[in-house]
Amino acid sequence: MVWVAVLALVYLDFPIRVGTAAICAHGQECHAPSLADLFDRVIQQSSRVHGISSELHSDYEQYFFPSKNHIGKRKCHTYSILTPADKENAQRLGREELTEVILRLLGAWGDPLSQLHRSMTQDQNQDFNHYSSNKALEMSDMVHELRSGVTKVAEKMKLLGVISNALGYMSSPESLAPSSVSSSYERGDFNSIDHHDLLYCFRRDSNKVKNYLRILKCTTLPELDC
Amino acid sequence: MRRAVGSVPLLLMLFFIGHAKETRYSPPGKPKLTSCRSPEKETFTCWWEPGSDGGLPTTYALYYRKENSDAVYECPDYHTAGENSCFFNKNDTSIWVNYNITVVATNALGSNFSDPVDVDVVYIVQPHTPENVTVTVMEDKDGPFLRVSWEPPRKADTRSGWITLIYELRVKLEGEEEWEEHRAGQQKMFNIFSLRSGGMYLVQVRCKPDHGFWSEWSSTTYIKVPDYFPRETSVWILIAVFSAFIFFILTWILNLKSNSVKHCLLPPVPGPKIKGFDKQLLKNGRSEEVFSALVVPGFPPTTSSDCEDLLVEYLEVYTPEEQELILEEGKDLQEGCLKSKGSPSDSDSGRGSCDSHTLLMEKCGEGEGKEEKHQERAQKGKRQQKHQTGWEEGDVSHTREDVLSPDMSEGRVKTWPSVFSPLPQYSSRPLDHQGSLETARQLCLSDSLFPPPSTSSHLSYNAKEGLALGSGQQEFYLGKKQTHPSNPQSQPRWHLQAHSDFNISSMDRKQAASGLQLPGFRSTEYVEVQRVNQEDMVILQPLFSSSCQRDGHLQIGQGEDYSKVKGVDSGNMLLLQREVEVKREEEDGDRYSCDIQDRVTESCYTTSTAASSQVTGKPTSCAGTAMPVQEEMVLAANGYVDAATMLL
Repeated sequence: MVWVAVLALVYLDFPIRVGTAAICAHGQECHAPSLADLFDRVIQQSSRVHGISSELHSDYEQYFFPSKNHIGKRKCHTYSILTPADKENAQRLGREELTEVILRLLGAWGDPLSQLHRSMTQDQNQDFNHYSSNKALEMSDMVHELRSGVTKVAEKMKLLGVISNALGYMSSPESLAPSSVSSSYERGDFNSIDHHDLLYCFRRDSNKVKNYLRILKCTTLPELDC
Repeated sequence: MRRAVGSVPLLLMLFFIGHAKETRYSPPGKPKLTSCRSPEKETFTCWWEPGSDGGLPTTYALYYRKENSDAVYECPDYHTAGENSCFFNKNDTSIWVNYNITVVATNALGSNFSDPVDVDVVYIVQPHTPENVTVTVMEDKDGPFLRVSWEPPRKADTRSGWITLIYELRVKLEGEEEWEEHRAGQQKMFNIFSLRSGGMYLVQVRCKPDHGFWSEWSSTTYIKVPDYFPRETSVWILIAVFSAFIFFILTWILNLKSNSVKHCLLPPVPGPKIKGFDKQLLKNGRSEEVFSALVVPGFPPTTSSDCEDLLVEYLEVYTPEEQELILEEGKDLQEGCLKSKGSPSDSDSGRGSCDSHTLLMEKCGEGEGKEEKHQERAQKGKRQQKHQTGWEEGDVSHTREDVLSPDMSEGRVKTWPSVFSPLPQYSSRPLDHQGSLETARQLCLSDSLFPPPSTSSHLSYNAKEGLALGSGQQEFYLGKKQTHPSNPQSQPRWHLQAHSDFNISSMDRKQAASGLQLPGFRSTEYVEVQRVNQEDMVILQPLFSSSCQRDGHLQIGQGEDYSKVKGVDSGNMLLLQREVEVKREEEDGDRYSCDIQDRVTESCYTTSTAASSQVTGKPTSCAGTAMPVQEEMVLAANGYVDAATMLL
């Protein structure tokens, strides 16, 4: 009886964790999703992440900062991660590095987003925070999923021989974040201005991720969609 | 470096300002950056709006700073993008980098900086319009449809995935105002269905990066849909044809069964059913014809047993050779007389009820009543009948007296208006005989008739159809006993001598008239109405044949006895036949005589069954009726003889 319960829990839990596992009905031929399917999924996910981050940022801009000329002094904590800033650079980078950049970015944002969510929830002065904290939470979860998804894609590509195995960053994503930035996050004293900057930075980085993934897909699998 | 270069014109301007004349010059107004756009996320352009120039030539410069860098750079290209613009080429463009851009307007008097604008190229992408928009008409089983295809703008690199565009197209019919918009996503092809046959369509396409601005609509592409027959319409036509077919079938069936349907919906209203009633005549508006049509030959029932009970005055005219008419009462009258009842005013000598005039009157009334019941007659006829009744009553009394009194010098003659004679076309046979033979008619002349004036009135009334008037002298008088001296003991026989000139045929009129002279009356025959048989024949019997009377009248006539009227033929001729019943008369003897008398005393009955055969009791009415009677040929179908007409 207990074994049955444990097994049931395992089996139920299994599909949630394994994002890319194939869910097949009984008797049906099961096969792992193709690279194209994986790419499509991660691209969709990244697009959703970027959409939510844009919404949150625009909400903050309308609510707190009527004047838009406040950005100049900001520095995002992912500043240290070198990312291609134009098409040629991105194409020159290659698939493996591109994949690495993506993963780095996604890894660098895991914790800050969680903290953001916590900070928004704690700040109960405004009703706005209550509405936004849900979005921040969703955003945080999705970034986690996206990261695991891209990892799957990379593994798939390695499997297919599309990219080489010369990747070392996957093992420790926590070291990617610059310490200066992360330290301020760890302090935990966020305020609304910090929120706004954080959201600004994240919006940009999610856009980068989405763009890099698309380039990766179209470079690896040239199809009609590209 | 650039700053040093930029400061030179400033110094020059300041120098000029010092030497400027006293004019209204001012430093330039503040310029304003209107927009910055990137068509492909690789280059971008910024435009500004110059402020007032202050009356002096003003120059503009754009300066920018990149994110996390303090270096100020000036616009590399002021010309590519046109006036008051700055074009950043690929080398100068960095994505995901914040640009802080400022425009400076400078004239001799000063300069003016615009507000800085932060620009991230990623978010200012506005692509060009899609290119190569082609629309083609393609056929499908449901009908034609439009296939719209296009290509992304040339500069937008979607192949490498650098930029992702989503498309939108809009369609409308030529002449319409509203467009029909469709989102096509990332695909570069779209199908449009449900087209109007023969319509001209306009198609436009535009695109947008997933986070950016919509491009302008592409130039309109025109496409004409060929004429085709839509399937839906054909279905409707089929349904319409089918419905029409069903409708016609139903109408046809309804037409066939219209009668039964009418009976169902509109039950027929019962109408009058009068035998012989012709609605058409009624519609024509001639009541006379209508009522004449009602005259049914079988009505009043002359063959029924009631005939015997009816005190009908039928004239039986026997063959014209003898011209002996014996006017007698109907046999039923005799019988009635035999059954007489006592009456207070009965002045009978005790012979019997036969003499009871009341009896007769009752019978008359009875008969008349029956007649009235059985007949449909005009009001006139009824009235006449009633008049007759009254008249008859009076006459009976008169005749009674006449009969009873041996003195019959009064010579009252009773005319029986109901007696009709078939006058017209009466052959000249009667004249062939002794000539003195006349067709005696049973005439009841009322007292009123007797006076010469009334008589003359009658006399003046000319019969149109052969009713011979002759000299106009018509005398009727009862046969008197005095005239028959040979038979003093015989009961006074009341016989009527019809002295009228019954010249039925017009030709014989004069001859008959001549025959009818006063002195000639002696040669007349006395006819007794013996009875009326069932065939509407008045059986006449010459007086001489009866035992009550023996006279030489017979001598006048032939030895033959033609006292029976057989009938009236279609030629309106009175047919007489040999009397067979003479013997019977003789046998009955006295009884007959008195019967005869009684019969004679019988009042006139007008058994008019038809309007044409009415004879009223009044002389005037008789005359009156005589007129129409004459018109209609006195002969009635039932064999009535119009005595009144005969009078005339």
